[in-house]
Amino acid sequence: MSTNVAPRMIELVHVERSFRRADGTDVKAVNDVSFVIPEGEFVCLVGPSGCGKSTLLQMLAGLLEPSDGDIVVGNKPVTGPGPDRGVVFQKDSVFPWMRVIDNVEYGLKCRGVPAAERREIAWTYLKHVGLSHVERAWPRELSGGMLKRVAIATVFANGGRVLMLDEPFGALDYVTRHQLQDVLLNLWNADGAGTRRTVIFVTHDVDEALSLADRIMVFRSGNKVDDIAVKVSRPRTTDSLLLPEMVEIKRKLLHHLGLDHAAGLDAVADEAVA
Amino acid sequence: MKLGARVVRDRWISLGVFIAIAAIWQVLSVIYTVEAVPGEPMVAGWQVLFTKTFLSMADYWAGGLGVPSVAEGADRSYPAAALSLADHSLQTIIRLASGLVVGGGIGLALGLAVSWSRWTRRLVDLPVQFLRTLPLLAMVPLFQLWFGTNIAGEILFVAYGIGVIVFAGTVNAVRNVPSIYIDNARALGASRLTLYRTVILPAILPEMRSTVLLSLGTGWGAVLGAEYLGAQSGLGYVIVYAQQFAYLDRMFLIALLFIVYTSISYWGVSKLTARMLDWAPPSQRL
Ligand SMILES: Nc1ncnc2c1ncn2[C@@H]1O[C@H](COP(=O)(O)OP(=O)(O)OP(=O)(O)O)[C@@H](O)[C@H]1O
Ligand SMILES: [Mg+2]
Repeated sequence: MSTNVAPRMIELVHVERSFRRADGTDVKAVNDVSFVIPEGEFVCLVGPSGCGKSTLLQMLAGLLEPSDGDIVVGNKPVTGPGPDRGVVFQKDSVFPWMRVIDNVEYGLKCRGVPAAERREIAWTYLKHVGLSHVERAWPRELSGGMLKRVAIATVFANGGRVLMLDEPFGALDYVTRHQLQDVLLNLWNADGAGTRRTVIFVTHDVDEALSLADRIMVFRSGNKVDDIAVKVSRPRTTDSLLLPEMVEIKRKLLHHLGLDHAAGLDAVADEAVA
Repeated sequence: MKLGARVVRDRWISLGVFIAIAAIWQVLSVIYTVEAVPGEPMVAGWQVLFTKTFLSMADYWAGGLGVPSVAEGADRSYPAAALSLADHSLQTIIRLASGLVVGGGIGLALGLAVSWSRWTRRLVDLPVQFLRTLPLLAMVPLFQLWFGTNIAGEILFVAYGIGVIVFAGTVNAVRNVPSIYIDNARALGASRLTLYRTVILPAILPEMRSTVLLSLGTGWGAVLGAEYLGAQSGLGYVIVYAQQFAYLDRMFLIALLFIVYTSISYWGVSKLTARMLDWAPPSQRL
């Protein structure tokens, strides 16, 4: 019910983006996409590879201009990148020439936050992601999962009200991925429901979307093909994924991804009913 | 431990090669006794180089510091020879260092300007690309006529030789900066100036290091070229002077000195930048 009164944070109106390929043909990476996301909502974008998820995020971040349509974030049209929107990129983006703590402070430093204050903030978020013991390390000394955590701490420390994460855990092992999902949800939820930031989370992993999202948007070749609310209460456990409504959503998602006959799904559904 | 052992072994190999070359030279001086002019062998042995040749450097000592010059009627002496070499070396090194600072600074600034904005690219790219195509050595007489024996001309010549290399290296290095870092910095709120200071400059450092080492080689060549024609001092001047009288041993001694200086300058730049590259993986720090 609170989502009904929450102010709209992100609004896309008929957004399009095409690219010109090297051979001269045009590709429509994002095609006539419109949606509204209220403040504090956790939205997952799913869709097959190449369906335009990263392109959409880059436009929201202001790093890429739409060919057509309007993007409004926090009542301001997006004209370029800004610290009100943080991005955890699909590729590793941690600066190798800065120590971990300096990376986390980077955005704050850009905005002229005094040294002591920004160190305090950076330190807090490093602790949240469990990396306070490597604050003085060089990024080359960290593992892939640790680098992702640094990137997450960096955008959280920067204080943007909108956070975009592009397949942040895609390349991680099962255990690390689940740990980082918890870290992310804890950060998002740290000060209670009223202060949550708006999160857009891109993933290929249907289960990941189900356990994280308030809402799942499905994309296929540049189009938004579905928009599903996930009303299951939090915190969610592995058992939550077995609830009938979750299984129903999962079935829908798999259908969109062309995996109708995925083995074992029916068995899982039966188990949940039993 | 293993790595340390290998480094030690590599050092011994280098030393062995060095000694072998010196020995071959000595053998050559014994079996090839042709003289350019009477009394001046084409290949001077080490016993000549470190006595007579070294002593002859006193000829280029201008006097002062209580050590009288040959021109003042004194005999050639080892103090005068040593002071003379030190003085002329210093002149050359000052020209090179000034040229490196001026040329490196301007080359870097112009190289960065190419990617700064569309306007600065248009302004800078074409003229500098044009300058790059001019052959450096062909410019020696031109610079001499423009500047005469003025030291500014020599420094500018060296700066020009180094600057075009640093420019090209900078443009290339900036192009190779992964766009993910630029996107990340912009998304975190960096202004363009901050972006260049905190992302572009550190990111191009490993590549710039090789560029500077490369330009240093050209720089040593350029400073000699500049001194050939204009200068009244410096190692290049000593070589020109020696050439007029076919003093091959003197020219060879200066060439040896050049090898030493060039090696030291390479080593110095490597050491200096290695400390700034603590962050990079070891493969980029070698
Ligand atoms: N700079 C570009 N130039 C040309 N085509 C591009 C460019 N960027 C993206 N595309 C095209 O746009 C489409 C969407 O790309 P995008 O990166 O948004 O996909 P994605 O949904 O993020 O895929 P993935 O899940 O694999 O990351 C693709 O067909 C891609 O080839
Ligand atoms: Mg993508």
